[in-house]
Amino acid sequence: MKNRKQKVEIGIARATNYTDFTNFTNYDVWVYVLISKIRKIRVVRSSVCLIHIMLSMPALHAQETFSLAPPLMSYPSVFFTKEAKIELFFAEPNTQIHYTTNNQDPTENDPIYRSLLSITKNFTTVKAKVFSKIYQPSDVVQATFIKDGLPIKSIECTPPNPKYTSSGTTTLIDNQGGIAALSSKTWLGFQIDTVEIVLNLTKKQRVKKVLLNLLQDYGSWIFLPERIEAFSFNDKTQSFQLIGNQVFNQDENVKGSFCTPSVIEVKKGIKTDKIKVQLYLVKRIPDWHAGKGGKSWIFIDEIKVY
Amino acid sequence: MQRKDFIKNTSLGLLGAMLTPQYLAKNEVILGHNNKRYKINTRWSQADVARYPVNNCHEMIQDKKGRILLLTDETRNNVLIYDKNGKILDSWGSEYPGAHGLTLFNENGDDVLFICDNTRHQVIKTTIDGRVLMTLDYPKETGMYQKEEEYVPTETAIAPNGDIYVADGYGKDYVIQYNHKGEYIRHFGGKGDTAAHLNNAHGVCIDTRDKANPCLIVTSRQQNAFKRYDFEGKYLETIDLKGAWVCRPVIKGDYLYAAVLQSNSRLGAQSGFVTILDKNNRVVSNLAGSTPQYNGTSPDEMYQTIKAFQYPHDVCIDDEENLYVAQWNSGKTYPIKLEPVV
Repeated sequence: MKNRKQKVEIGIARATNYTDFTNFTNYDVWVYVLISKIRKIRVVRSSVCLIHIMLSMPALHAQETFSLAPPLMSYPSVFFTKEAKIELFFAEPNTQIHYTTNNQDPTENDPIYRSLLSITKNFTTVKAKVFSKIYQPSDVVQATFIKDGLPIKSIECTPPNPKYTSSGTTTLIDNQGGIAALSSKTWLGFQIDTVEIVLNLTKKQRVKKVLLNLLQDYGSWIFLPERIEAFSFNDKTQSFQLIGNQVFNQDENVKGSFCTPSVIEVKKGIKTDKIKVQLYLVKRIPDWHAGKGGKSWIFIDEIKVY
Repeated sequence: MQRKDFIKNTSLGLLGAMLTPQYLAKNEVILGHNNKRYKINTRWSQADVARYPVNNCHEMIQDKKGRILLLTDETRNNVLIYDKNGKILDSWGSEYPGAHGLTLFNENGDDVLFICDNTRHQVIKTTIDGRVLMTLDYPKETGMYQKEEEYVPTETAIAPNGDIYVADGYGKDYVIQYNHKGEYIRHFGGKGDTAAHLNNAHGVCIDTRDKANPCLIVTSRQQNAFKRYDFEGKYLETIDLKGAWVCRPVIKGDYLYAAVLQSNSRLGAQSGFVTILDKNNRVVSNLAGSTPQYNGTSPDEMYQTIKAFQYPHDVCIDDEENLYVAQWNSGKTYPIKLEPVV
C-alpha cells in the first residue's frame, strides 16, 4: 500500500497527543489507537502485525516513559518597577532545571538554574524545564515579567462580581499579581456581557500599547474575552475613538490555569490622557466545555499603558 | 480490506502484544524516599475492560482473605474483587451511583463494609459480598441539615467499640458520630475559621499507632492538612501538609499513607502523588512527589515531580506492604500497584 507510511505517521501524531494517559506506556496507547481507529487505519492484509511490531519496538526501548512534572516558579508578582526576582525549584534528585529568557523553549544546552533570577527588561519571558536521565523532560513552565508603564492618575471600572472584588478597582494598577491561581487575591472577576475600564493618565502623552493581564482557566469557567477594543478620548470631538483591538479564539486544548498578558497595539501613536478599554465576554460557553451554553467568567488583575 | 481480515490481523497484533517479553515491559522506575521506596506497575489489573469497566476508582481495601476490593462509581460493578496479582475474582453492586468511601471493619470476626454514596446521600453497611445490613440517612438529628442534598458523605471510620464516624466531606464538613447501631451520638468539625474546623473533610480514620492515645485523623483537604481529634470530637492538633490535597489517611503499621489528589501548585492538571508519614506524622516519602524537607514543624511545599499518577484518590496497603493506588477522573484506568524496594 502506497501511503502506508503516511497513515502510520498520522497514528504517531495522535498517540503523542494523548497526554491524558500519562500513566499508560506508549505501548498501551498504541493498542488503544489501533483499536479506536479501526475504520481509519486502512492497512493492507497482514500488515497490522507488522505495524504493531514497528510501533511497539521504539516504545519498548523507551520503556519507562514517565515524564517529569514542570518545575515550580515563584515570584511575588509578574509586575515590577525596577527588577523582578524569580525563584525556580524542583525537589527531585538527579534532575536539572534549565531556563531561558529568549522566548525559546529550554534545552539541556541552556543554563542550569542555580540561584534567584533577576529580570529588568520589560516583557521578559522566563521559561523553565526540568531534565533528567531517567524521565522524559517536563513541560515548560513560563511567566512573562511586565514593567510598569505610563503613570496612571485614576481608574474607573465596571463593578466586578461581588465574589471577586479583590481590593477594588485600583488593584488593576497596583503592580501586584500575575499569579495564575484563583486563590491569588489580585483578580477582579466578571460575569457580565461587557467590562469597561477608563484610565486617566497624569498628562497627555503618546500611547503605543495597552496591556491587560487576563486569567485563563477553563476548569473554573474562566475564559479569555471574545475581543478587546481600546479607545482614546478625542478632545475635539469630545468622544472616544477606536485605536486598536484584539480578537481571541478559545483553544480547547489549553489545560490548567494561565496568565495571558494581552497587548493591544495602537496603530498610530496617539497622544491622549484618557484611554477606554472594553472587553466583550464569550456569550455562550463553547460546546466542548462542560458548561456549554452557560455564561463565562473573565478575570483581570492588571492594566498598563505604554 | 474485509472486516474479518482486519479482525484476524488485529488479533495477530494483539497476540504479539501478549507475547511481549515481560522484562521489556517492566517498569524499573523507583518512586519515593528513605525507607519507603517502590517499584511501580501500571498494568497490575488484569480485568477485561468490556466485562469489568470502571469509572472513578475511589477507594480500596484488603479483606481478611487477602483479597483487594475496589470501589468504583461504575454501576455495572460497584465493587471489583481482585487477588494481589490483579486477577478479578468477583464483583458485585449496581446500586451505588455515587460510590465514594469504602471502609472495612472486622465485626466479631466477620468483615463488613461501609460505603459512602455521594449521590444517594447515604452511608450503607454491607456484608463483604454486598448484602445490605444498615443504611444511614442524612443526619437530621444534628440539627445542621434541612435536606439530604446538603449531606454528601465521603468517608467512614469505625472505632474499636463499633462507633461509626462519618465525614461529610462534600457537604458541610461535619464528622458525625453514631454508635454501632447507627444511633446519633454527636457531631463536630464543620466549616469555619478555627483550627478545629474543616474544609473538605474528605477522609477519616482511626489512628491506633500510639496505643496509649488512639485518636481520629480527619482530612481537611483544601487546607492541605490532616487534623487529629479524640474520640469525643475534641480537636487536638493539625498536621500540616503544605501543597498536598490529601485524601483519606490510611494507617498501616507505624506509617500513615495518603493519596494526594493533586498539588496545590498545579490545580486541575493531574498533579497527584502519594505521601507517607511516619509515627510522628512527619512526611518521610512522597511517591512521584517532591523530596520531603522540613523547616521546623511544617514541611516545605510539596508537589508532584514525576507524572506517574494523575489524580490518586486512595491508597491501600496489603499484608505484604504493597500499595495499590485508585484514581479519580483518570481516563477510567484501573488501579496502579507499587511494590516495596527492599
